[in-house]
Amino acid sequence: MRKPVALAGGCPTSRGMSWAQASLLARGLCRGWGGICGAALTGAPFSQVPPQAPRGLHCSTAAHHSDSSLVPRPPEPPRRPAKALALHEELFRQAPDGARDKASFVQAVQKFGQHNVHRRGHVDFIYLALRKMREYGVERDLAVYNLLLDVFPKEVFRPRSVLHSIFIHYPRQQECGIAVLEQMENHGVMPNKETEFLLLQIFGRKSYPMLKFVRMKLWFSRFKNINPFPVPRDLPQDPVELARLGLRHMEPDLSARVTIYQMPSSKDLTGVADPTEPHIVGIQSPDQQAALARHNPARPIFVEGPFSLWLRDKCVYYHILRADLLPPEEREVEETPEEWNLYYPMQLDLDYGRSGWDDYEFDIDEVEEGPVFAICMAGAHDQATLAKWIQGLQETNPALAEIPVVFRLAGSTGELLAPSSGLEEPSPPPPEGQEDEEDSQQQRQQQGQS
Amino acid sequence: MALVHKLLNGTCILRKCPKPSVALYPFLGTRFADYCSSSLQKPAAVPGKASSQRKTEGDLQGHHQRDVALDITCPEEKPEVSFDKAIKDELKNHFWRLKDDIVNRWIGPEGRPLHEVLLEQARVVWKFRGKEDLDKWIVTSDKTIGGRSEAFLKMGKNNQSALLYGTLSSDTPQDGESSRSGYCAMISRIPRGPFERKRSYDWSQFNTLYLRVRGDGRPWMVNIREDTDIIQRKNQIYSYFMFTRGGPYWQDVKKKLYLYVFVRVYLKYKFLKVKLIPFSKFFFSNQGRIRDAQYQLLLDKISSIGFTLADKVDGPFFLEIDFIGVFTDPAHTEEFAYENSPELNPRLFK
Repeated sequence: MRKPVALAGGCPTSRGMSWAQASLLARGLCRGWGGICGAALTGAPFSQVPPQAPRGLHCSTAAHHSDSSLVPRPPEPPRRPAKALALHEELFRQAPDGARDKASFVQAVQKFGQHNVHRRGHVDFIYLALRKMREYGVERDLAVYNLLLDVFPKEVFRPRSVLHSIFIHYPRQQECGIAVLEQMENHGVMPNKETEFLLLQIFGRKSYPMLKFVRMKLWFSRFKNINPFPVPRDLPQDPVELARLGLRHMEPDLSARVTIYQMPSSKDLTGVADPTEPHIVGIQSPDQQAALARHNPARPIFVEGPFSLWLRDKCVYYHILRADLLPPEEREVEETPEEWNLYYPMQLDLDYGRSGWDDYEFDIDEVEEGPVFAICMAGAHDQATLAKWIQGLQETNPALAEIPVVFRLAGSTGELLAPSSGLEEPSPPPPEGQEDEEDSQQQRQQQGQS
Repeated sequence: MALVHKLLNGTCILRKCPKPSVALYPFLGTRFADYCSSSLQKPAAVPGKASSQRKTEGDLQGHHQRDVALDITCPEEKPEVSFDKAIKDELKNHFWRLKDDIVNRWIGPEGRPLHEVLLEQARVVWKFRGKEDLDKWIVTSDKTIGGRSEAFLKMGKNNQSALLYGTLSSDTPQDGESSRSGYCAMISRIPRGPFERKRSYDWSQFNTLYLRVRGDGRPWMVNIREDTDIIQRKNQIYSYFMFTRGGPYWQDVKKKLYLYVFVRVYLKYKFLKVKLIPFSKFFFSNQGRIRDAQYQLLLDKISSIGFTLADKVDGPFFLEIDFIGVFTDPAHTEEFAYENSPELNPRLFK
């Protein structure tokens, strides 16, 4: 008996419940109902049931009686164990005719309250409900978590004395409460006043769920807005909108303009877009436009990709239009006259006694790469689609008509299975095989005459 | 080897004394025999390779090391002979490094003149300009506990940056106790001095971590571990988040710092460099749980830094790192970002 305090001081309902379940589990295992029992019990990490199970398996009724001197005698195991055990599952199983949504989940939880007024087996029910939340799509709903906490009977598990709160009072119930909060934490759900009130009513101020609640309240508020590149919680379903969001996310220049070069063809009845007309969305900033106009037409520019970008749990792929790095002798140093911007001079050559103290430069040559002229996201990653993008770009960049464009596409068309890595590496894991393939794919395409 | 290692770790308690390398002498003398014997018992698998690898890890690569490497690669030697020789060379190498250490200490801290170190405002700590730079890092994933994630580290195409790539998978290992999984990490090796003595970085004059990275939009975690000999503290790390933007641009704007007459410009500078992480923002955690009592990261003994990806999103990832440095940001005056709460640890407020 690992928790003598809890067992001896337990309330009659909860103790009876655990005993009943122990014997049920034993019977269930014997008769091969392991599936049901396992499903109902795996969620309880600290359950008191397993240590008691062997007793139910191997001991006769005499052993039960000898035990009763230590622990109050358990109630007689009910005659119809399967029905009682599978009850909680049944609550959730009633839904399938309807949709699996918040309403049916709430209904199941409420039905549990109606079924047994004494809340027997509420811990197992809560663990089960926590596992089911993802199926019902309510794992980020604070109201549902509060509803689950509401299943706990109130005022029963509150410590009544200092001794109660020193030794963990009702450990299994407290662990269950922590599990609810932990799942909230994992899904980034911030608890509110109602949660606090419920926890106070159920477990009291000096309890572990309350401690967890205080910690969550503290750290969630600290870390809530630290992402400098925020992504909305619910991403748009429309691929064009998603591409627009992703492009804006990547481009640091706020004056850049997003252009939709091609809308996806109208969806047919099946809801699948026509593969021959994928969407093409591109972004280009005025600086990039100017740089492209200055580009030496003798040097080719490249369409590279696809590269991956993660927006929360969605991966989108983008292509870039870039040139190689100019050799150092051809680079022209940009001279910005000082009177261009009076408020923020671009260059200031004052020797205000600068010494070694003022050297804030790292002693390293940073990686330099060729300039990026534009980024696009397209529904398909083949050359024909990207050529359309280049054609669209020519409308705003007439200089592009004279520059040869080389397509350096890493993978095959369509689905992307290989993880696309950084810009310098077309595909990391098999370097040799891919390179040849890539070379064969490199086709010079003179856009000037077209 | 292990004996010496342990012993040297033990002697690290003496680090408070001004010249630890000198203080080590008596210990080394007495444990000399142990070093040899324990290495002799090792299987003679590839001693040459092992020792040469260890050599590359060293910070100080003098001319003598090249000679040693040449000797080892000599093919027509009998295994016994080469083994003895390898031990001898290894020893010699360590003594050379010890000598370098002492000489360097004479010149100044870390072998550089004092005025240079004192005036330093930006220091590159880790860079990736060749294969040997990758040896300073360990790449792990939850494969070690039975998961399915995998991570690899290699140099970029033009040998100019490191590329950490792989696949994250949050499948839990079927071992009956793990309930969640899915991480990939890259951890820097602890710097070692002569005789594999543990060393640490002293960044106490800097206040900001500078990372020049390019990612794919995934959030990473930067973990800094303090150097400690207390075994109870081995799971304690200081962490903060590194959000990558994604896209083809390096995550730091390459603009020169134009020193205006007014300090206000520093604010602008701060705004531009998005991947500056002030050390004051690192929070204290133990075994992956944030501690209730928060303490500031002390920068005088830093043992390693690590990057962890565990965002529960299955799929491929990559992170390119150009270099990692430390930096003094004059506009940053915050000492510690997290106040302790009287609700959580009332003892601190008595």
